[in-house]
Amino acid sequence: MKPVLFLLISFPLLGALILALIGRYLSRRAVETIACTTVAAAFVLALTAFLLSGQKAHSVTLARWFAAGSFQVDLDLYYDPLAAVMTLMVTFVSSLVHLYSVAYMRRESGYTRYFCFLNLFVFAMLVIVTSGNLVFLYLGWETVGLCSYALIGFWHEKPEAADAGAKAFVVTRLGDVAFGIAIALLWINIGHLSVSGINDGAAGLSTQAAGIIGLLLLMAAIGKSAQLPLAVWLPDAMAGPTPVSALIHAATMVTAGVYLLMRFFPIIQGSPFVMAVIAFVGVMTVCFGAFAALVQKDIKRILAYSTISQVGYMFLAVGAGDLAGSLFHLISHAFFKSLLFLAAGCVIHALHEEQDIFRMGGLRQRMPQLFWLFLAGAASLGAFPLTAGFFSKDRILLAVFLQPQAVYKIFWAIAAMAAVITPLYAFRLFFIVFFGQPRADAGHAPAPDSRVSVPNLMTWVLWPLAVLSVFAGFLNLPVNWAGNEWLAHYLATVPGAAPEPLASPKLESAMQMGSALITIVMVIFAWVYYGVRIQPGENGETTFQNKLHALFLNGFYLDRFYQTRIIAPYRAAAGFLWQQVDAGWVDAGLDQSARFFLTLAERLRHWNTGRVSQYVSMMVTGFTLILCGLTAAWWYFQI
Amino acid sequence: MTIPFTHMLSLAILLFVMGAACAMTRKNLFMILIGVEVMLNAAGIAFVAAAMRWLDMNGQVMALFVMTAAAAEIAVALALIVCIQRRTGSTHSDRFNLLKG
Amino acid sequence: MTVFNIIFYLAAAIVICATGLAITRQSAVHAVCYLVISFMGTAVIFYILGAPLLAALEVIIYAGGIMVLFLFVVMMVKDQQSPLDKPSRIKQWLPAMILAGISALMAGLLVFADPGNRLRPPAVMGTPREFGRILFQEYWFPVEIASLLLLAALIGALYLGRRADHPVGTP
Repeated sequence: MKPVLFLLISFPLLGALILALIGRYLSRRAVETIACTTVAAAFVLALTAFLLSGQKAHSVTLARWFAAGSFQVDLDLYYDPLAAVMTLMVTFVSSLVHLYSVAYMRRESGYTRYFCFLNLFVFAMLVIVTSGNLVFLYLGWETVGLCSYALIGFWHEKPEAADAGAKAFVVTRLGDVAFGIAIALLWINIGHLSVSGINDGAAGLSTQAAGIIGLLLLMAAIGKSAQLPLAVWLPDAMAGPTPVSALIHAATMVTAGVYLLMRFFPIIQGSPFVMAVIAFVGVMTVCFGAFAALVQKDIKRILAYSTISQVGYMFLAVGAGDLAGSLFHLISHAFFKSLLFLAAGCVIHALHEEQDIFRMGGLRQRMPQLFWLFLAGAASLGAFPLTAGFFSKDRILLAVFLQPQAVYKIFWAIAAMAAVITPLYAFRLFFIVFFGQPRADAGHAPAPDSRVSVPNLMTWVLWPLAVLSVFAGFLNLPVNWAGNEWLAHYLATVPGAAPEPLASPKLESAMQMGSALITIVMVIFAWVYYGVRIQPGENGETTFQNKLHALFLNGFYLDRFYQTRIIAPYRAAAGFLWQQVDAGWVDAGLDQSARFFLTLAERLRHWNTGRVSQYVSMMVTGFTLILCGLTAAWWYFQI
Repeated sequence: MTIPFTHMLSLAILLFVMGAACAMTRKNLFMILIGVEVMLNAAGIAFVAAAMRWLDMNGQVMALFVMTAAAAEIAVALALIVCIQRRTGSTHSDRFNLLKG
Repeated sequence: MTVFNIIFYLAAAIVICATGLAITRQSAVHAVCYLVISFMGTAVIFYILGAPLLAALEVIIYAGGIMVLFLFVVMMVKDQQSPLDKPSRIKQWLPAMILAGISALMAGLLVFADPGNRLRPPAVMGTPREFGRILFQEYWFPVEIASLLLLAALIGALYLGRRADHPVGTP
């Protein structure tokens, strides 16, 4: 087991190192091959480890990292069913994204840097998922932040891309600070930094300590997973290449926060307050994302807000105590969201970098393959009956509903309302892009039947994802569908996971019926509202409640709030300190003192009159002063 | 039965400050030299007074050497003044301010 | 108040007055003359203070040699009365007076502070025999040095004083 796990995380790292060191001397084909094969090898190894592990947890120590007195940190790996599922998902999606990137980046010149960071990202994500030591996990955590910064700002000549990369890094940094404090508190309270040690010792924490640590971990997760209040970086992060968005901001990095909460669930369980807070954050973010996604015009921004919303569902599930449900939704979301992002990338690519959905249209005829792929993704996102998204979201809603506290019923209601909006925005996107008349692109009006092409590789990799989006529901088929809830049972040994929600099959069926009905109704509504009524050239949005529209469009003005309330005063203070204090007092003070000496010398110069009599006078004055001093000393010692 | 030592010393002090004042104030080179002479003389008086106070001949010997040095110094100083006069035509100390800053 | 004391105070008064006059004269020749008187008075003081040989030497060397030399040179050098400065007496002398006053005060304080200074030394005479013995036995080396010093001064004065067209050595 140990060599398998070691190679699992080493292969992507090796790929990154090779590309970093000698990548510039290799041909494009060689670079692509190295990148893709290392990640594919990691997938094979993940599969092997999954098959070999049984359902047990394995702890493997790779090496001692550092030791300072009694504090020592080892490079530990901890492989249990949770880590198994995550590694499979991460490596699978990464392999597909790498293949996609080969075609997507075929005309870019910075491909070595791109693949190097992509590989490094995969390595870091695998470290997060399989790490057995908190500090090692923190290493991976920071590295994914670094790679995210590098990849979002890949086209660093564009100012918005560079700014978006910096914004992502800085905002997630806020969460990382909380994470660091949590690590310190865990060391103080439990004395271990290994995952197993912490989870075992979590029972011994007081409710207060568990609460504080839980809140800090939540803060860290909020940063990485772009939840409220730190959700502002994800929409801007769309300035990066689309495969990056697919990998990082759909499947892997934004789920790292959820994974953290799941991994340390025993701590969070120790404080019902923290669980309620997590659920609250989740449900607020669900609404925030859903409403904002409803009115966006940029295809990638819609998907970004959708991601924020769906990760909110995962948080909600953790807050409701259902680890299996959260993981289930994580997996299905990884599949359908990355599918949607990659398909969007195809669309953008085909229409020559057009990202405004109201300038697309009629792609059903022009890109038939992509039509079906996109449909699969949108259906799963909207929780169309029998898709993976349907089963996973339903399980989450059920788990929230079943929680005994009253506040969870409110959460359930809000989440259900957002579940109404989700198919609406998903199919709004679908219908506007793929139906109606094609818009003019690049100056000439195309015929409705003309085909637009993208490289085959970009569409081929989407088929596995589409299949999985639709059929991954079978991973955790509920009992009333004659399923065996495989995923929930598989996770039974993970600390904190409960195998199945204690619900009567009737309740479960009733809820599923209800949500299925709502989804179908919303799809029809979206068809009516957006599909049929779109005419060429028309914006499609009525002037009905313009302010509400603007509110949603601007992400509830959260960005602007931060800009005016936090960033602008900070800037003003920094400007003051710079101009007034540093340049004004410190620098000017130094200048003044230097100039003082200059003027002093200038004035003293006049003592050199060249007149002998004056020099003699000076001597006599000095003599007099010495005499006075002597007298004073004598006087002092007399008295 | 003789003079208190303090009186002798105060005489020397008075003469010394008078010589110093003269050297400070006067602009004529000769008068500066006269001030120096007066100061040296005052020092001699002080030495001789100390010799009497401590009944030590060394004080008088020192006064003699002071006189000798004064003589040598005056000779050279006067020769210098003559030289200066020949070069610049003036013995007014304010004229020689080439070292003015 | 013996005769001894009276002579001393009298001579001291003369010395001080003569010096005061000497330093305030406009003409250097007048100043030199007053200074000669001052040195005569100093010679008397030396005698009172028990140094008869020094008194004689003072008259011979100081008054008779140095001051005469002074006179020669003063009269030789064309003394220009520079029209530049004619500051008022008070303004010219004020800083000197202040500084001198303060110094004298301080020094006086220091001198009068020590009670050991109040005593009156006995009146003894340092005989020339004794003086000579000490000079040429204990202080023979400084005497040689002093003579070298005088030699150097002599040569220096000679050289400095020559005219450009009369090099040293030629008649």
